[in-house]
Amino acid sequence: MKDKTNENKADPCLPGGLMPAEQWALPQTSVRRSLKDAIGHAFKQLQAGVSQAEEPFESMDELPELSASQQNRLAPEPDYSDQATAIACGLERARTEGSLSREVAFLVAPPFSGVQQALARFPEPGQSGSIESGGEEWAIILPPDTLSFDDHEANEWWDRQDLSRPWVIPELADFWLRRLSGLSLVKELFRRIANGDTGAGIVGCSSWCWRYWGHYLENAQMSPWTPGPMDAERLGAWFTYLASGSGKSTVIARMTGDGYYVLPLAETDENEKDKDSKKRKYSNFLRDLAATSRGNPGVALAIWQRSLRARPDDDTKLEDADEKTEKQSQTADCWVVPLERLSLPTMPQSKESVTGFVLHGLLLHNGLDMASLEVVTGVSTYELSLVLSRLKRAELVVWEQSDERWRVTPIGYPTVRRHLQSWGFPVDQF
Amino acid sequence: MIDDLGIKDAFASITGQALLQAVLVIVIASLIMVAVQKVLPRVAEKLGGKPRLYLLASVPLLRLLIILATIVIVVPILVKPSFENMVAIFGALALALGFAFKDYANSLIAGIVTLYEMPYRPGDWIEVDGQYGEVRAIGTRAAEIVTPDDTVVIIPHNKLWDSLIANGNDGTDNLMCVADFHLEANHDVSRVRELLRDVAFTSPRTKTWQPVLVIVFNKPWGMHYRLKAYPFDPKEQFQFISELTARGSAELARQGVRFVSVPVSVS
Repeated sequence: MKDKTNENKADPCLPGGLMPAEQWALPQTSVRRSLKDAIGHAFKQLQAGVSQAEEPFESMDELPELSASQQNRLAPEPDYSDQATAIACGLERARTEGSLSREVAFLVAPPFSGVQQALARFPEPGQSGSIESGGEEWAIILPPDTLSFDDHEANEWWDRQDLSRPWVIPELADFWLRRLSGLSLVKELFRRIANGDTGAGIVGCSSWCWRYWGHYLENAQMSPWTPGPMDAERLGAWFTYLASGSGKSTVIARMTGDGYYVLPLAETDENEKDKDSKKRKYSNFLRDLAATSRGNPGVALAIWQRSLRARPDDDTKLEDADEKTEKQSQTADCWVVPLERLSLPTMPQSKESVTGFVLHGLLLHNGLDMASLEVVTGVSTYELSLVLSRLKRAELVVWEQSDERWRVTPIGYPTVRRHLQSWGFPVDQF
Repeated sequence: MIDDLGIKDAFASITGQALLQAVLVIVIASLIMVAVQKVLPRVAEKLGGKPRLYLLASVPLLRLLIILATIVIVVPILVKPSFENMVAIFGALALALGFAFKDYANSLIAGIVTLYEMPYRPGDWIEVDGQYGEVRAIGTRAAEIVTPDDTVVIIPHNKLWDSLIANGNDGTDNLMCVADFHLEANHDVSRVRELLRDVAFTSPRTKTWQPVLVIVFNKPWGMHYRLKAYPFDPKEQFQFISELTARGSAELARQGVRFVSVPVSVS
């Protein structure tokens, strides 16, 4: 199964490489952990409404959280330009190996996996993306301001886009609305791709949107690709890469309870052939984190950021390390709170169907403004405001000022997905 | 008569203490049964989705297990479980039931059969003798269903022998709903079919991984369309059908397709 995986060890920003979507598999976890999660989920559903916690996050330990600068150094947001380069290389390799033969490549990924952000940076000059496009610059296709089109108007809109030279759609979910007049653009795009009317292109698509269109266009076989899931090893490598910047420094992270090592990874330690390292005990934290986040890097990073702590006596050391230059900064210690002691967002008790419509609508469309959300869900603006404010307090959704959209939060995504699934809503495959 | 059956001998060994013990066991078993029947459905309501259905379905099974366990415990307390005694007791019981409580016994036996064959489970949407509703509880003698108008209908289990029982979701959370559209003829049929399919796909209540079908019949008065789709929760069925009908009608009107107001009967 792994032989077709386009794993690219040289790209630490995309440790899982790219793989055909049908080969994607959930990172494995222990039976104990699975049972614990299932029982915990059922218990939380029963508990809903019994305890009315206003504050969704409650630190269950005495340790201070990392300051913004410490967090920015130890668990920063990834550089999506590097990821774009890695994706371009991955696709190029797949084409060379013959496992990807289509003119238009579909990249399907769960929300927060960073594919959309990476694809939006695809045509930046000097990137190896130009290899994939045969030296030409990529054209980014952006969605129109309004998404209400009939079939004829959709046809005309696509005629105005230049799809003859290499093109990229960072997020297909931005091109439609779940209403009768909101389907035409995507339908027309799929028709053109199936007919071979476009040049080389890459379509990024949220897994939720893809699931919907897979059901709608049941005969469309687009053979999408996806980033490989983040298992414990890949997460460890990725967190180390993010924290080390240039890759020269080492991060040491240990569990707060028993002092077991989370980072560096066991393998890395063995390579160092340090006698002391062989005596070290390693925690299962990363394995559990990979399972909790379902191998989703954005979700894993959000939980990782929340779980990091500094010992009071380590504060000075960390601050000093912060101030050091890159060359000087060789080691930085931080502590990790066990997952079971982290209070992650929980679903507030409310009318299931309306909450479900809102959350499902947000995931299908990669976030929506209030007006579009009203159209898509059929819920009145007044009721939407009430539901959204509750979900916002529970840290499950967030209003993003930059593009004026409501979105599900990465830290709340596992809870949201699980609840939507148990309520019977269609969920993605990842 | 009682002497002939050996009932007197069978019960000769019953003491006051044994009787007290038996009553105590029966009371405890009854309390457990009541607790199971009250608590589990409430827990199931909180869980929703598939866990709700599984938990509801386990209620009658648990009740059967408790009844069997009670019999197994109580009988040896009261009588010596010899072959003769058993024949005597069950023979007398069969006679009494056969003559005095024939219909009641019929329902009890049918109740046991329902636990085995499972023609309906709590959480199922069934129709029996024109009564449609969700099975709320399965008792020893009868099942309770709640109709969409919030009326509780008691259906004796012996309906199982001679009535047609229609089960909409059959222990799953997949319940197909149908919205009917009666349209005048002379329109683009394939366009209308496509449009109605889109109506279902754009409903937030639709379970998109289940089939969405548009069936059309040519009638003497025009065209009869049936839009079939699954809501994400069987409880949403009426809202779902209403939404499909309202949105479908609005869009058809916008497209200039007219409805048949009164079907014309043809002799």
